[in-house]
Amino acid sequence: MVLALVLVVVAACVALAAWAVVFVVQDRAVVLRQVWGGAVVEGLLLVQGVVLGVLGATGTAPSDPVLLWGYLVTALVILPVAALWAFAERTRWSSVVLAVAALTVAFLEWRLWQIWNS
Amino acid sequence: MSAPGTVRRTGTGFGRVLVAAYGILALAASARAGVQLLRDWHEAPLAYALSALAAAVYVVATVALARGGPTARRVAWAAVGFELVGVLAVGTLSLVDPEAFPRATVWSGFGSGYGYVPLVLPFVGLWWLWRTRPDPSLTPTPEDAA
Repeated sequence: MVLALVLVVVAACVALAAWAVVFVVQDRAVVLRQVWGGAVVEGLLLVQGVVLGVLGATGTAPSDPVLLWGYLVTALVILPVAALWAFAERTRWSSVVLAVAALTVAFLEWRLWQIWNS
Repeated sequence: MSAPGTVRRTGTGFGRVLVAAYGILALAASARAGVQLLRDWHEAPLAYALSALAAAVYVVATVALARGGPTARRVAWAAVGFELVGVLAVGTLSLVDPEAFPRATVWSGFGSGYGYVPLVLPFVGLWWLWRTRPDPSLTPTPEDAA
């Protein structure tokens, strides 16, 4: 269950990052539809939070819950802030910002999976 | 390159990516320092105090680079320079004398735990501050102080 969710979130992040990279190559700024893509990732992260919360409450919590939640909350914060920051720029650099942010969330997900299994 | 007579900003264009990178590092370092201070303070007070200091300086650098006025530019030089010294000093110490830093900080091993981003970013930051430096032939405008 946790692995499936992690894989879905990572796939969504990589897809969003790839979309942003295409925009960088085409010399285009971030568009609203990409922000909706980011909102999908955020929704998945919230689902993951609920699942981890339920699993924790039913006794299958990982050894290090503080670190786990630290990573999840950090992952949740990045895309909304990055989207606001990127949207103020109407050049290709905004697409670079989105790509970096999406890849960072993917990396945090991978770390989250490591912590869950430690 | 900006047109002559315009104020070169530190937070736009490539600078927007730089500020985003600093912001992510500031967030990551702050979250890590927060966990360390709240939970493991007794294990390694020096290393964790350093973690918190590093996180605070990343926050200052992020805000200063994003603002980019004359004062913010000076603050950015200081903060980015401090990071460069910090990552080189702690990185070297953590390899030469691992006992001094028994717990990981953002600067341990030259930032190897963060993909060496903490090592690369100060160089890029200093280069960018130098590149966007105000043209001395221009008199400061009121917009500059905003």
